[in-house]
Amino acid sequence: MAILVDKDSRILVQGMTGTAGQFHTKRMLEYGTKIVSGTSPGKGGEVVESIPVFDTVESAIDNTGADTSVIFLPAAFVKEAAIESIWAGIKHVVVVPEHIPIFDMMEIRKEAKRYGSTVLGGNTPGIITPGQANIGIMPDIAFKPGKIGTVSRSGSITYYVADTLTRSGYGETTCVGLGGDPVLGSTFDDILRMFEKDDETEAVVMCGEIGGVYEEIAKDTIKRMKKPVICIIGGIYAPPGKRMGHAGAIVEGSMGTAKSKLKALEDAGAHAARTFLDIPKILEDLNIEPVEKPK
Amino acid sequence: MRLFEFEAKQLFAKHKIPITEGVLCTTPIEVRNAVLNFDGRGILKVQILSGGRAKAGGIKKVESPEEAETVADDLFEETVKGYPVERILVDPLLDIRREYYLGVTINRAKYKIVVIGSPTGGVDIEEFARKNPAKVFKESFEIDERMYSFEAYGIGLQMKFRKEKLNLVSSIIMGLYNVFKAYDCKLAEINPLVETENGLLVAADARISVDDDALFRHPELAEMGIEKRHEEGEMTLREKEAREHGIPYLDLDGKIGMFPGGAGFGIMGNDFVNYFGGKPANFMDSGGGPSPERLAKMLVLLDENPKVKAIFGARFGGISRCDDFAKGVIMFLKDHGLSKPMVMRMTGNNWEEGVRLFDEAKKKNPELFENIEAHGIETPIEQIARRAVELSQEVE
Repeated sequence: MAILVDKDSRILVQGMTGTAGQFHTKRMLEYGTKIVSGTSPGKGGEVVESIPVFDTVESAIDNTGADTSVIFLPAAFVKEAAIESIWAGIKHVVVVPEHIPIFDMMEIRKEAKRYGSTVLGGNTPGIITPGQANIGIMPDIAFKPGKIGTVSRSGSITYYVADTLTRSGYGETTCVGLGGDPVLGSTFDDILRMFEKDDETEAVVMCGEIGGVYEEIAKDTIKRMKKPVICIIGGIYAPPGKRMGHAGAIVEGSMGTAKSKLKALEDAGAHAARTFLDIPKILEDLNIEPVEKPK
Repeated sequence: MRLFEFEAKQLFAKHKIPITEGVLCTTPIEVRNAVLNFDGRGILKVQILSGGRAKAGGIKKVESPEEAETVADDLFEETVKGYPVERILVDPLLDIRREYYLGVTINRAKYKIVVIGSPTGGVDIEEFARKNPAKVFKESFEIDERMYSFEAYGIGLQMKFRKEKLNLVSSIIMGLYNVFKAYDCKLAEINPLVETENGLLVAADARISVDDDALFRHPELAEMGIEKRHEEGEMTLREKEAREHGIPYLDLDGKIGMFPGGAGFGIMGNDFVNYFGGKPANFMDSGGGPSPERLAKMLVLLDENPKVKAIFGARFGGISRCDDFAKGVIMFLKDHGLSKPMVMRMTGNNWEEGVRLFDEAKKKNPELFENIEAHGIETPIEQIARRAVELSQEVE
């Protein structure tokens, strides 16, 4: 099963003719990802890696049946591109570029909610369902099909966790990168709910870090979940960060430190890992069997 | 990115929010003259990119032009909260009847703009909000929503303004909301919003933080001299040097030089080192897709830091590829040389090419690699962290 994307997902690359678009189109295709079309306004009719490029998302959908989009465009163009996709009926939008203006991401999120789409990012490494689809920039070497779902704000942490799961024989169902920008298209809460409904996923590893509020607001969902959630939070020893003035303190209260996040998640029933190698140990304690022998 | 008070007030004035008639000064003489023009009394406020100025001694009331000059003289010599004082804003003294709080920010959990109003403002607003949550009024707006005057009126009522002030205060509330929207703000705050004895409302202080990532669409801010800037107070020499090369860097107390990939493991790697009984000497982030030059510079910073006894390198190539990482490390070894033990792990996108580059360079100049223990995907990163801690202790 997996969540969000699988071997039948039909991928559209927005910004396919750019340097990053071309490079990653090739990589994603090599993995076996089903890329069906690209867009680049004014360059309709061109071809990248034998994949047709269209001027608009609508024509890309009409001609190739795309249902998922990955964006490789400068930050300033992301809002238009994402909302074009959402309005045209794309179900999942993956925003790889970083530094998306906050107001833009809030508007994208609002349109996504209105039309029932899911947006990941900005600054996401993407999403991978190992063996089926690799959408974004994640290194293949870390991943193998299996039974654990992961969701993370950081690219490198996603790779380390997947690498650990792969080597300990558990493998992954789907690995989701939420992204590193301050305001994100999806939250831990959104993705945990999807994993809870996925038949193949037996447990979820949630990787958070200091700053922001997205870890804490997942706590009610974790409480309700039947599947175990393992959390690892970066920044326990980091020097305290900056706060957003009085208004930030009034709105976000004591959220945002690594310790506050860890406490909120543990109180909700999540199992805390300190290092990556703790994760397979916790899975073992939960009587979850690896799919193959550890390396 | 935070604006200075005087800059925030310029933006307020453009949106019809009444501000104090302050004078921006850069010398004690200017401060003296400004106070003279305010009938000999005034309030001196250092212009620094930090809050909590009053508690740090950066805001002083003066009763005469002579006192103003002396006080300004001292302030210009000092640093306040680690910031040198280059400018002082001189405001007339206000006869305060009451102080209110008004702020606009983003609720990231709910994806809404939130307007906050409180009948009590001033330096202790956060404590007031904690103790009296029911008295602090919040109203949420969608990102693409405008504010109607009746809504602003409603917020004014909740802030306990008297009827005859409601028209005035609702135009201030709408003004602040419009400022927030117009400049891609993360925060716009009036604290305190002062009601004077003769019934005027005025923004006595002003705070604005804008979204750095949206500066590209605000040339009007650049025209006012508001451009990307550092908000840190006193930086160490190494932190300054790192910043000049575009490297996010912080000095810490320990002995292990941290040379990580992205910010995610930059943060968590420091935790690992602590778990294994070591202490990092720094926090560092290479940023996405760093050039070999930048990577080499990162290593120079660590190698030249006398506190660093061992270096912990980690690269899981995603958008930053292993071949670029290897090029950076090799460039550093050739141009600068490594004087400290270093343990590192490299895997991820293009790792084959990274390993090939290392092998090739090592064959040519094996002596350059004497201090390096290099690992690949077969070694868990925890083992590398442990080894870095060991190495830092051996050197003692």
